[in-house]
Amino acid sequence: MQSLLQRAVNFLFPGVADRWLTVLRCGLGFQLTLYCVSSWSDWQLLYSSSGNGLISRDLAEAILSVESALVPRLGWVVTAGEQLGLSEPVILQLTWLFLLCAGLCLLFGAFSRTAAIVAWFLYLCAVKSGVLTSYGMDNFTIIGLFYLMVAPLPDRFSFDVIVRKLPVRDERLHGFHCRVLQIHLCLIYFFGGLTKALGPAWWNGESMWRALTRSPFNVISPDFLASWGSALPLLGIGVCFLETGYPFFIWSRRTRAIWLAGILVMHVAIGLTMGLYLFGLIMIILNLAAFGPDLRTRVVATAEPLIVQVGSKNLIRSTPDR
Amino acid sequence: MEKGEALAGTVLGYGWPAGNLARQALELYTHSAGIETGYGFFAPNVPDNYKLVFELHYRDGRVAHALPTVSDAATGVRIVNLLDRLAEIEHPPLRELMVRMLAYSVWREQADVIEIRAIFGFVSLPTLEAFTLGERESYQTMFAYDFSFLPAEPEQP
Repeated sequence: MQSLLQRAVNFLFPGVADRWLTVLRCGLGFQLTLYCVSSWSDWQLLYSSSGNGLISRDLAEAILSVESALVPRLGWVVTAGEQLGLSEPVILQLTWLFLLCAGLCLLFGAFSRTAAIVAWFLYLCAVKSGVLTSYGMDNFTIIGLFYLMVAPLPDRFSFDVIVRKLPVRDERLHGFHCRVLQIHLCLIYFFGGLTKALGPAWWNGESMWRALTRSPFNVISPDFLASWGSALPLLGIGVCFLETGYPFFIWSRRTRAIWLAGILVMHVAIGLTMGLYLFGLIMIILNLAAFGPDLRTRVVATAEPLIVQVGSKNLIRSTPDR
Repeated sequence: MEKGEALAGTVLGYGWPAGNLARQALELYTHSAGIETGYGFFAPNVPDNYKLVFELHYRDGRVAHALPTVSDAATGVRIVNLLDRLAEIEHPPLRELMVRMLAYSVWREQADVIEIRAIFGFVSLPTLEAFTLGERESYQTMFAYDFSFLPAEPEQP
């Protein structure tokens, strides 16, 4: 019993360097910056209230209120801003600007904790006030920002540590936070893959065909796609296999590199062939943060004896990167 | 699968009254952490593709067609999600209200339009086999609404 408990503690609190957090922070900073730049021209259209937007923000927030009145929304920010005498368009522009600043601060690691909280809150407000137009990318960005907000910031490559000389937190604390993100990704992929595998359409290539020819994801010409029709079932089965097998193969030292590479290639392909570049990017960031840094350590650890062996034969002194 | 869904619903407090504080707190947590929805994107099948077309009737009798437009491709993805949700709405007045808002956003840019007919339908995509035999996508109307946003003229004495 004691041994089992000890194993559980060792699993949940491994000693992990803060590189995972550097990847998550920089990645989310870049993602937010890209999101802000791409949404600037449609920001007012998406989040204005009655009469000025595409779908009124008031309607989306009323639908949200049916679920919960406590979930943050842009309406709260607008109401607070109006108390200061600001108009709705100005408040919305300021919200966009603060979100962009938070993204840039995260990118460089300046005032990391404050930036992470501001980014999470404003992004959550925007997504919930645009609940009728939100999609998977928004959910994954919120997941990433939530983990970043509660993570043991700052990391050693941030402005906060290099310039402001703030201390880096305990490795076991980093290990726990990284582990939770890893487990969450395993659940996401396993259930995503399993639900795809339940229907026949991912086995016979029909879903791949429909996903790639469905507007506005039809980046590739259907004629070109049809000429590669026989490859679609293989690709569909490959997606199901990669996703369902993720929690089984990502932990093993032998298969981690292959699985991570497969998943990253899949998300790059989604970004390029379906035009979902923000979705592809956030998934790459989460995967690299969760399993990327550890992979590098393991590759170096595995390669070290070989390097030393080859080095001693050739009288070369080995200096592995720790 | 349904038992699992029911169990998850119970854990998340979906059986409790909407005003229940514990349920509200759970909703707040799940929304804040981004875990309020499942992860079955495009599963088990890729859903149908919907399209909303506006038929613009001008004062001089001209008729033109328009689609809901945005500036960036990333926002275009959001429009697709909006149309998917529109198709799922089972409450006709809410559906009409949403289509009216979208039509109004088009009318704002085209002040000489006197009436807008909004036609919502789904795009039937051919299978790979049918495509290679020459079949192409077709559009089937699900519902249509007529809107006029001109101010009502005062009655003659």
